[in-house]
Amino acid sequence: MPDLLEIEDLRISFRKGSVVNGVSYSVRQGEIVGIVGESGSGKSMHALSVMRLVPSGGRIDGGAIRFHGKDLLKLETEEMRRVRGRQIAMIFQDPISSLNPVYTIGFQLAEMLRRHLGMSGTQAASRAAELLTLVGIPDAHQRLNNYPHQMSGGMRQRVMIAMSIACRPDLIIADEPTTALDVTIQAQIIELVKRLQREFNLTVIWISHDLGVIAGLAETVNVMYAGHIVERGPVRKIYKNPHHPYTVGLLGSMPRLDRRMNEKLVSIPGRPPEVANLPGCVFAPRCPHADQKCHAEMPPVTQLEGTHQVRCWHWPQVAARN
Amino acid sequence: MEKTNTLVDVRSLKKYFPVMRGIVFSRKVGEIRAVDGVSFKIYEGETLGLVGESGSGKTTVGRTLLRLQEPTEGDIIVRGEDFLRVSGGRLKKMRRSMQMIFQDPHASLNPRMRVEDIVGEPLRVQGGLGGKEIRKRVTELLELVGLTADTMDRYPHEFSGGQRQRIGIARALALNPSLIVCDEAIASLDVSIQAQIVNLLEELQDRLGLTYLFIAHDLSMVRHISDRIAVMYLGKMMELANRDEIYDAPLHPYTRALISAVPVPDPDVEATRQRIVLEGDIPSPANPPQGCVFSTRCPQAQDLCFARAPEYREARPGHSVACHFA
Repeated sequence: MPDLLEIEDLRISFRKGSVVNGVSYSVRQGEIVGIVGESGSGKSMHALSVMRLVPSGGRIDGGAIRFHGKDLLKLETEEMRRVRGRQIAMIFQDPISSLNPVYTIGFQLAEMLRRHLGMSGTQAASRAAELLTLVGIPDAHQRLNNYPHQMSGGMRQRVMIAMSIACRPDLIIADEPTTALDVTIQAQIIELVKRLQREFNLTVIWISHDLGVIAGLAETVNVMYAGHIVERGPVRKIYKNPHHPYTVGLLGSMPRLDRRMNEKLVSIPGRPPEVANLPGCVFAPRCPHADQKCHAEMPPVTQLEGTHQVRCWHWPQVAARN
Repeated sequence: MEKTNTLVDVRSLKKYFPVMRGIVFSRKVGEIRAVDGVSFKIYEGETLGLVGESGSGKTTVGRTLLRLQEPTEGDIIVRGEDFLRVSGGRLKKMRRSMQMIFQDPHASLNPRMRVEDIVGEPLRVQGGLGGKEIRKRVTELLELVGLTADTMDRYPHEFSGGQRQRIGIARALALNPSLIVCDEAIASLDVSIQAQIVNLLEELQDRLGLTYLFIAHDLSMVRHISDRIAVMYLGKMMELANRDEIYDAPLHPYTRALISAVPVPDPDVEATRQRIVLEGDIPSPANPPQGCVFSTRCPQAQDLCFARAPEYREARPGHSVACHFA
């Protein structure tokens, strides 16, 4: 069976420079893929491009996004509109700005069902209530009449999740969906997504800056830095034995709640580049292993055991140190 | 560590905000109990972590501690002196020793001021130093926080988030304070930059003997930086103990749930972990539950919890908790 989504050599740029610089990976049906990176790594931008929602000023310079074998970048606007929401759904970080404040959530849910699935008004209303119950909102029928501002942040994010699964999409892209929430609410949302994923065999791309969230959710993780995937592979492998110095740094700079730590955090010096225009490896200016070669040339993707890939000239040394 | 000298002693601190209705003839229709009877001590040279979710009142505690907001009730004793009863020159003098680092380095630095003026402002207001001396001291301060002196003539927008936070730290250090309140000082920064700032804060503490009140929602970072940790929920103190004790042997059901909700960057740990998932949301501080404030979400709540608020008491030496069943 071919992969559900295949991204190949995707490039996106803005006037100030390129933000996604040749990203390739694929997503199998039924898996949760995590994408980790800091601000400016291109993690959100590449996800938006899958929906063809790159903000104005941005341009997709090249590459392919094959979904069910068809290149989304080549679709007509009208065809793409049928894919959005229906086949690929997106959950954003901030539910208050993704919901329309002047319509009830019942209306907004039903609108999707009527538009994409051609349901009648009454059908859509009862399905909307079912969906709210499914995502754990009590008194669903009454809640349909609520406006977004009448709900808490956690509840709103549940509504967003209900909307995303409303049309039974093949793929859900979740862009930092729990970042704006408190930890106890984050835990609720993560449990909900895990349950829904099992029940409906959902395929999810989960974008986060929090390695902890990804550790508990995803099977595969892509680590992004300055528009590149610098390391990719099974979550277990990458957390236990990272092969890229950036992954090592990222894991080292996060203190762990379950451990006593008295030593200093391993911080990564400097800061991420705003746009990657340097000739060499994008991480070289901050890398403890960098040498002349790193500053001159971007390393190729090295295929390691299984699906594990890394982009570093010095990965054997990095791997041996951990 | 030895806990000999108490720097700040906070006793039954309360801060209520009125809820007003009407524009011309506005009247008070209720109140939000942001902080509702909180007591704790901060010892000289320690880092006290203060954690809680949104609406827990942790930020208000930090702000009232510096009298950026006047508390409704309670006492704040700083080195034996009643901080809430002083005014005028004495107040100004005491304020030198207590500074704050804010969450958002974009909002807390005036975009129209140069770095030299931002960092030098406390010196001008409080120190009565001349221009040359100020410039010298600003250079020192910038170097202390890892910035070069040539940044002095630049404006805040020319810096990244992490660098801006360094400028905020330099400003807080200008008057040689003994206490710094860090209110979510790293929350808006990227992970790799957070570690840089936390390391800087720790270094400065060692060098200058600072005391921190570190307010944050990120429990992992709080565990890393703190000596003792206080947990707040809906305006009340739930638990306070030594940092390892609070994680290894938490007494309050809320603390247990909070700890279990924090994701750990280790797939093996995550796979086997038993998570206590709390139901529902934090109630509104305008209308807190009767009895124990946590009773509506507590997995162990009994009739007693809904009827009567538990007393905040020392359950073990140095470990206080507010729960009937701890």
